[in-house]
Amino acid sequence: MALIEAVDIRKRYRSGEVEAQALNGVSLSVQAGAFTALAGPSGSGKTTLLNIIGTLDRPESGTLTVAGRDVLSLSAAERAAFRLSHIGFVFQAYNLIRVLTARENVAYVQQLQGVSAAERNAVADRLLAEVGLDGMGDRRPDQLSGGQQQRIAVARALATSPDIVLADEPTANLDSHTGESLMQLMQQLNETRGTTFLISSHDPLVLAHARQVVHLRDGLVQEDASA
Amino acid sequence: MFDLSIYLKLGWRNLWLHPLRTGLTVAALALGIAALTFLSAMNDGWLQQIRTNFALTMTGHLQIHASGFQQTLKLARHIKDPAQVMQALDGLAGIHSVTSRLRVSGLASVAGANAGALVYGVEADKERHLSRLAGFVTQGRWLLDSDDRAVVLGDGLADRLQVALGDKVVLMAALDNGDIASEVFRVRGLLHSGVLDIDDLAAVVPLGRAQQWLDMGQGVTDIVVRADDFEQVTGLVDQLRQRLHAGDGSQSAAADSSGYEVMSWSEIDPMAEQWSAFADAYTWIVLAVVILVVLAEVLNTMLMSMHERSREFGLMGALGVRDSQMFFMVIWETVILVSVGSVLGFMTGGWAVWHFGKVGIDLSQFAVAFSFMYMSPVIHPLLAFDSLLGILGAAILGAVVAGLFPAWKAARLDPAAAMREV
Ligand SMILES: Nc1ncnc2c1ncn2[C@@H]1O[C@H](COP(=O)(O)OP(=O)(O)OP(=O)(O)O)[C@@H](O)[C@H]1O
Ligand SMILES: [Mg+2]
Repeated sequence: MALIEAVDIRKRYRSGEVEAQALNGVSLSVQAGAFTALAGPSGSGKTTLLNIIGTLDRPESGTLTVAGRDVLSLSAAERAAFRLSHIGFVFQAYNLIRVLTARENVAYVQQLQGVSAAERNAVADRLLAEVGLDGMGDRRPDQLSGGQQQRIAVARALATSPDIVLADEPTANLDSHTGESLMQLMQQLNETRGTTFLISSHDPLVLAHARQVVHLRDGLVQEDASA
Repeated sequence: MFDLSIYLKLGWRNLWLHPLRTGLTVAALALGIAALTFLSAMNDGWLQQIRTNFALTMTGHLQIHASGFQQTLKLARHIKDPAQVMQALDGLAGIHSVTSRLRVSGLASVAGANAGALVYGVEADKERHLSRLAGFVTQGRWLLDSDDRAVVLGDGLADRLQVALGDKVVLMAALDNGDIASEVFRVRGLLHSGVLDIDDLAAVVPLGRAQQWLDMGQGVTDIVVRADDFEQVTGLVDQLRQRLHAGDGSQSAAADSSGYEVMSWSEIDPMAEQWSAFADAYTWIVLAVVILVVLAEVLNTMLMSMHERSREFGLMGALGVRDSQMFFMVIWETVILVSVGSVLGFMTGGWAVWHFGKVGIDLSQFAVAFSFMYMSPVIHPLLAFDSLLGILGAAILGAVVAGLFPAWKAARLDPAAAMREV
């Protein structure tokens, strides 16, 4: 069975009188170990779909299995616990807690899991080295560049060894050079660790790295192409 | 659960993200707590003074009467055998001194003037050790054990009678049998205590002469005990009641008069206790108001801080922080904020209490009003442990209350929506 199995997901947003049909019956299947891009223009529903897969949001209808769990039936507390141990997140911006150092940010999720300080700090330092930030563990986010901050987010997303990393436009705030090296990093982590990545973007650079690209338009999957 | 250190770390660092804002809130808190600490210590200080002044001016810490005397003030209800009571007092720990009195209301008269008087027959020397009466003498002298027909008058009473030192005064009182007995005394001293009831009414004479004049034999009406301190009073009262099979003075006037009543200072005159209750209530109202104002400030600070960090809260929620954890994180942050303010407040207030406790606060301008309440014109603040705990408890409770709303908001924050906000 696929790691992510979404069938006929529908999601409508209502703000006052205005209704927006964000997802119009999206079906999607992502295999374990995949490096998949979710492409589509602005407003096509990429963030909405990632949020639903990441259990941050719930659809009106459809079925969704992530890592073998019927996540739509989980309670809020169960979803929080599920996210903590099964999903890593990389957002477009504001990924880090600004009063924590790089090491503390990476270790934070393991601290939530109750892992001892020594162990989580060791994991954090190893991951920081892996994302190329060796020796920067004591810096606060505001002492780091945008690209470095995104690398820390990637390191944090991997700290709990999740089944899947969901990245919502991770390169959107980076220049193309920095974006390229972030994509290379994620691709490399996908290959060495086998972690599944689902990355939303309309950045051609991202799509170039993806092994599978899912195109969204007006809340519908257009085609399922392999690159 | 995960370890608390992350709450402390996050809370502490987030507070100092805005040093000015946090500093102002902490300063307001500290000021409020310091003011409360000082106010409460003032209160405790003058209540302690009132109690002490009340007990030492005249009343003593406890009194033993024949049962029913305090309610009737009838000479018939007197202690026939004071030695028996003295025996009961023997060997009790915590007693500073004991004296006997004969107390009766009567009339003082000189040629051309009369005035109601409260006559006290006292043991001159023992009285000097027990109460402050002797110390209040402003003209002439206190009684000597060798005095016979000498009287020390309250200055208000002397004024009304238009008498001076050396003048003669006739004191009259009704005996048990309804006869009026009178006796001539010579004024040897005038006293001013500041307490109206004493200054305007007291006529203090030697006990022996009073007993003869009133045909009382060895009888007295009050055996007055001064304890080493207030803490001893309850224990002494209990032991004496047991030893003397005595009541508490509340039995009806018709009760059998062969027994005794043992009354503590607060039972004799509930005024001081009522004052204390009133002052407590007053302090708590002020405390509530100050805490309320300060907490509004804390609430405001927390809501501002949360508003700025809503995306960060969203991030935490997305990462897997549970609602309950989010809730406690915010409560903790509030508690940290209030604790910092409280510690500073207690230090400032504590210093002020210590300083003014040493030098006193001089309120002699209002001395007339004060002495009437048994207050001294110089107040020495005194911080009672109970009061300190009260303020601390109120501050922490307030912190939690002020934190509830922001915490509740944090707990029900939708991470997806919070992350979308730009
Ligand atoms: N909270 C919301 N309230 C109302 N409408 C919303 C809300 N969130 C998203 N939408 C609407 O849902 C649709 C899909 O939005 P979504 O954010 O998923 O698109 P996207 O592909 O991520 O866009 P972008 O590339 O700009 O991030 C859009 O029409 C958007 O306006
Ligand atoms: Mg989006």
